[in-house]
Amino acid sequence: MTVRVRLPRVLTDTAAVAPRHEVAGDTLGEVLDSLFADAPGLRHHLLDEEGRIRPHLLVFVDSVRADIDTPVRQDAEIQVLQAVSGG
Amino acid sequence: MKRIAVGTEKGAYLLKGSDSSWTVEGPIFPGWKVTAFGRARDGSHLAAVGSNWFGIGIHRSSDFEEWVETETPPAWPEGSGRKMEQIWAFHDDGERLWAGVADAGLFVSDDGAATWAPVPGLNEHRTRDDWGPGFGGLCAHRILTGADRIWVGISAVGCFRSDDGGVTWEAKNEGVPPVDTAEDAERPEVGYCIHGLAHDAIDPNRIWRQDHRGVFRTSDGGDTWTRIEDGLPAGFGFVIWRHPGTGRLLTVPLHSDGSRVPVDGRLRAYVSDDDGDSWQVAGTGWSDSPQFTGVLRGAFGGDESGGFCFGTTGGKIWLTADTGETWRELKPAFPRIAAIRILE
Repeated sequence: MTVRVRLPRVLTDTAAVAPRHEVAGDTLGEVLDSLFADAPGLRHHLLDEEGRIRPHLLVFVDSVRADIDTPVRQDAEIQVLQAVSGG
Repeated sequence: MKRIAVGTEKGAYLLKGSDSSWTVEGPIFPGWKVTAFGRARDGSHLAAVGSNWFGIGIHRSSDFEEWVETETPPAWPEGSGRKMEQIWAFHDDGERLWAGVADAGLFVSDDGAATWAPVPGLNEHRTRDDWGPGFGGLCAHRILTGADRIWVGISAVGCFRSDDGGVTWEAKNEGVPPVDTAEDAERPEVGYCIHGLAHDAIDPNRIWRQDHRGVFRTSDGGDTWTRIEDGLPAGFGFVIWRHPGTGRLLTVPLHSDGSRVPVDGRLRAYVSDDDGDSWQVAGTGWSDSPQFTGVLRGAFGGDESGGFCFGTTGGKIWLTADTGETWRELKPAFPRIAAIRILE
């Protein structure tokens, strides 16, 4: 399945990757693997040492909070958001 | 000094100029903490960044303008239980590039920061289970090499030395009291909150140490340390630097671990011209107004010409071009400063 992924600009501006991607996958984990195949430098910014979504990030699939195992449908909209924090 | 890199809580900045006229470029990496600067063998600039959201990263640049992030920075392996929280220091020994990180560990790169390998002799040291963090976390923040030896400072663990290229390591803290322990208490092997190390340009086994518990020196590569604080208003602080030509030492004392600001707000560098036997206020130019601000362990840099500067937690930079005789507070203000490097 092909889905669309939107990444936060504070990440993409510094990592020099596009903020929007079209990639394939049947679960969020597969989608992220496809994303990392295109942009390997994103892996350690989105996943922690144990392969989990970093604790201060939220990922939404079609506006519903998702985890690595969440299934995705064709043309799903996936959005990565960072926590609002800091001074 | 013509270009100074400034790493802050909110991005990096490049100071360009000389004497009284400085311009600021930046922010570079906006919104990211910039925690260390370094150089690779090919001359590339390195900048370590960090984010509470996105973890750490390393960026490379040939000109400090166009930056490319490396794809595989130092990482703890899955299942280790450790988190890569921050890159604290880079050190190029002429052959290999070293990085000190938190959770505390040492990594080495033989391809100019593209890939990194852990140093298991230190990272899995037999004392590892007893390592504990200081106020700045559990971090390997200072790396020295010379005379076929490697020294690494880890807070709040201590100074470690390797005599075999990093294969095996021994703690070297004899003469330094452990943090939060009486001077005459039984001495543990680890538990020393080292803040900074600087060694002599000619004899690398002569090392000066700014520690949580005071200022110390060794002439035997760290086998024994001696307290040297005559003339200092406080032993606490983070800065220790030795000019490679004259041997002048420089530190910036802070009141204590409880306050971490200058005694009575009198922000001053102190210098020693007798290897630390005695200290005095460094030169002139200091503010008469109270300066209740701190200086972090990576927020200073010096060069062979006698240029030296440090940045404060209040975001200001103090600079000398004559090894501490005259000082100037630069007008630009920055976020909390974590890293400084004089580029040229």
